Amino acid sequence: MIYLDNAATTYPKPIFVQNAVNSALKNYGANPGRAGHSMSIAAAEEIYRCRSAAAGFFNAPGPECVAFTLNCTHALNYVIKGLLKPGDHAVVSCLEHNAVMRPLQKLMESGVTATRVRIFPGDNDATVNAFRSALRENTKLIVCTHASNVWGIRLPVERIAALGHIYGIPIAVDCAQSAGVLPIDMADGKFDYLCVAGHKGLYGPMGTGMLITPDGSELDTIIEGGTGTNSISLDQPPTMPDRMESGTQNMAGIAGLRAGIEFVKNRGVQTIYKHEMSLVRHLYQRLSEMKNIKLYTSEPDTPYFVPVLSFNVGDIASETIAQKLNTHGVAVRAGLHCAPAAHDFMGTLTQGAVRVCPSAFSTVNDINSLILSLMKII
Amino acid sequence: MSKPMILVSSITYAMKSRDILFSYGIKAYVERTPGGTSAGCGYSIYVPNRTDEAERILAEAGIKLLGRAERDGTS
Repeated sequence: MIYLDNAATTYPKPIFVQNAVNSALKNYGANPGRAGHSMSIAAAEEIYRCRSAAAGFFNAPGPECVAFTLNCTHALNYVIKGLLKPGDHAVVSCLEHNAVMRPLQKLMESGVTATRVRIFPGDNDATVNAFRSALRENTKLIVCTHASNVWGIRLPVERIAALGHIYGIPIAVDCAQSAGVLPIDMADGKFDYLCVAGHKGLYGPMGTGMLITPDGSELDTIIEGGTGTNSISLDQPPTMPDRMESGTQNMAGIAGLRAGIEFVKNRGVQTIYKHEMSLVRHLYQRLSEMKNIKLYTSEPDTPYFVPVLSFNVGDIASETIAQKLNTHGVAVRAGLHCAPAAHDFMGTLTQGAVRVCPSAFSTVNDINSLILSLMKII
Repeated sequence: MSKPMILVSSITYAMKSRDILFSYGIKAYVERTPGGTSAGCGYSIYVPNRTDEAERILAEAGIKLLGRAERDGTS
């Protein structure tokens, strides 16, 4: 199989990740952070190593700023529902995933409002100005994807963060498609909340994600429970990461995530980005030479895109094309990609689109095979 | 040495505290908080030597400290 659905989750995982998961299951079988016996402490040490690795990777203030979650959606829910109250207003981009839009929709039932900002691909000044125009006196949060999971369009989140801070408004950045592909510096970018998928560009197992923030104590919780600390109190601990980590953690997954972060560090974010962008640009150029192919953006180039490319074949349903590609052994994702807002922006709500996303392991032969398969199909 | 256990709010802070103290050449070990403390359960760092100095270093590093205890649980 030629796997080009890496925007959903990366495959294959590096051998280091597979070994780390196996090792954790074998050697860290006790519940981390709950007991005082040796295996429990050893398991907790492994989790702490992953916290430290993640904090270093994103230049967060310290390992205590890293809370492990199930995925990026989980982390976004923590921020959105933990911060916004009835009467509050949020600003989001027009490219947001349902991981942002559905929590907001839920909060709208209790009096939260939100403005969806139109972005301008390739014109960051216009995009930032659009965000500025959307701010209100009661705006309490900006939530912005770092890069669209459908169109690969990268948003100027550093500038949007700076804009928000002028008005005292924090920003949560959805890094689902950017972590491991774009450099992300929490301190330099002055990001308040990073919501990260562990199983995509960081090559960890599915079921891993992170909320990274120095401000976790300010968030109301949406899940409470045992943390292994201060058990006599029925109040949820105020400090990160315990505040956001009730219940037993995904020990093996977190061990795998650490190995994934190390893999990305060793290979280099810039190296991975350049490699994947070269594949996407090659695909774009070949597709643009083919009849009946619909492309929706300009040719992906740095720094305005991440390596995600979506297209259609005439008016044929995107699911049909993906299904036919599957019969040729090519795995891509069609439909709306859980991001109807992004499809609405491009006018593809009805047809959806066929999405291609390479990984660090993808080759130009994989892309050529996709193109050959497409030529046979159409 | 009296009360060599420094109580902190979580195992994450215990491990961070240990690493900070190691960088100062102070040996420290993460252990379960002794019974009889008010927190119910949690983690502490056992600092067999230079405990007062360690406590000061951690406070200056911004670690929230919850107190001191004897290692045998008789706080």
